[in-house]
Amino acid sequence: MLALELLAVSKRYGARRALAGVDLAVPAGSALGLLGPNGAGKTTTLRLLLGFARADEGSVRLRGLEPSEPASRIGVGYLPERLALPGRMTVRGCLRLHGALAGLENDEIDGEVAAVLRQTGIADRAEDRIAGLSKGLAQRVGFAQAFLARPDLLLLDEPTSGLDPIGVRDARDWIATARESGCTVLVSSHVLSEVERTCDRVAIMHEGRIAASGAIHELVRPGEDLEAAFVRVVRG
Amino acid sequence: MMRPPTRAFRLLAFEALHDGVRRRIVPVIVAISVISLLAIDNCTGCASSSITVNGEAVDVGAAAGWGGALMFVVLGLWTMVLAGVLASDHLAQPLADGTAALILARPVGRSAYALARLAGSLVISLATGALLLSATALLLHARAGVPLGPAVWGLAACALGALCVGAFATIASLVLPQIATTLLVLVAVAWIASVNLLTQFGATLEGFHGAVDRFGPPLASALVLALSPWIESVDVKGAPIAVGLRLVVWAGIGVALLVVGFRRIELGR
Repeated sequence: MLALELLAVSKRYGARRALAGVDLAVPAGSALGLLGPNGAGKTTTLRLLLGFARADEGSVRLRGLEPSEPASRIGVGYLPERLALPGRMTVRGCLRLHGALAGLENDEIDGEVAAVLRQTGIADRAEDRIAGLSKGLAQRVGFAQAFLARPDLLLLDEPTSGLDPIGVRDARDWIATARESGCTVLVSSHVLSEVERTCDRVAIMHEGRIAASGAIHELVRPGEDLEAAFVRVVRG
Repeated sequence: MMRPPTRAFRLLAFEALHDGVRRRIVPVIVAISVISLLAIDNCTGCASSSITVNGEAVDVGAAAGWGGALMFVVLGLWTMVLAGVLASDHLAQPLADGTAALILARPVGRSAYALARLAGSLVISLATGALLLSATALLLHARAGVPLGPAVWGLAACALGALCVGAFATIASLVLPQIATTLLVLVAVAWIASVNLLTQFGATLEGFHGAVDRFGPPLASALVLALSPWIESVDVKGAPIAVGLRLVVWAGIGVALLVVGFRRIELGR
């Protein structure tokens, strides 16, 4: 069963072509790293999957549904590249709201919120206003809201941006834990080492196309690391 | 599990109201409302006295009805302007700062989100309007015996007008900057109210102005017609039920366009 699928998807922003015939399928339970230089189309791919934008051509399915249907986003945890949280809210208040919107019952919310606060190491900041948090702590709140309601699909766009080295290692552990529980993961990132450690497959995007995809060991030639393979694919 | 959209709407409308009351314009609204209440108290204060002009007694009840209707219409239009001004960035702002994206990545329909933002901004303007208009009606009733029934219809007309203006302002805010939307609200309400009032008090408008009066949202007409029992000495033009229904239709069009328009837009890159 596929957690998400793009078939021959094209997307333009005015004269600029963002995606050109992208085919991408992520089976449930797998972890795919979406790699590519700036402007390759990674974030556009995520925007199409979440229904934020519409494809000009082709078909996009999230959990088998049109992304414009709210039901397609049930069980989806999303961490955007440019995380924007409501600064006036406390960490707990924000997570309670997201828990409720994610579909948690009222009597489940507090327990779930406490669990993700502990998991992401921000339990002691639960009553702080988000506006007063550092970028790294805000990113942890971003992870916490993505992990709410035990998602079965995580869409993470540059997830470690703003995190310190300890935060990066923690994030890797959180993603690994989610994978162990059967969660499908799609990570869009520039950080190749992060993708290498968290994903079993990668798709390298370049100029709006999937230039290469497959298991990491299939893409990397003898004597290469992922970075060398990435440069080879992107530079042709 | 998919939750009923009403739950998401309720949660988001509450958050939208929270966002709304923290806006810098709210203290200004409170200050203007307090001044308005003092003015209402002052203006209705003379209603219980007897007035004689050139040795002849003036019908104070009729004067109070006129004054009350004027106050009611001005405050009703102020409420509608307020609804438009508050709506001019209440949906656009979270779209611009990115907080909407995180919400809409949840199983939340765009309709629920757009309507919740509109509702959050409307609560503030409607609460202000309800306070000012109720105070006007109650003081006039207590001091000059002006009937309360028309005020109830006037409140309903004001609420529908505010919904209409708020919905169209929200739609405009999706394509215009806030300042342009605010100016558009001010110009549109002033223009519509002017043609409505001119026509109702006997002027004959042709062409575009006449069409706006006959087919446009009757923001001021609905208020005046609701209050016509307070100004019986004047023959107010227009059928109250038809005008009321036209306002309902325009409010419905505004909300429907907002829902359809917001479903079609792409969220910021």
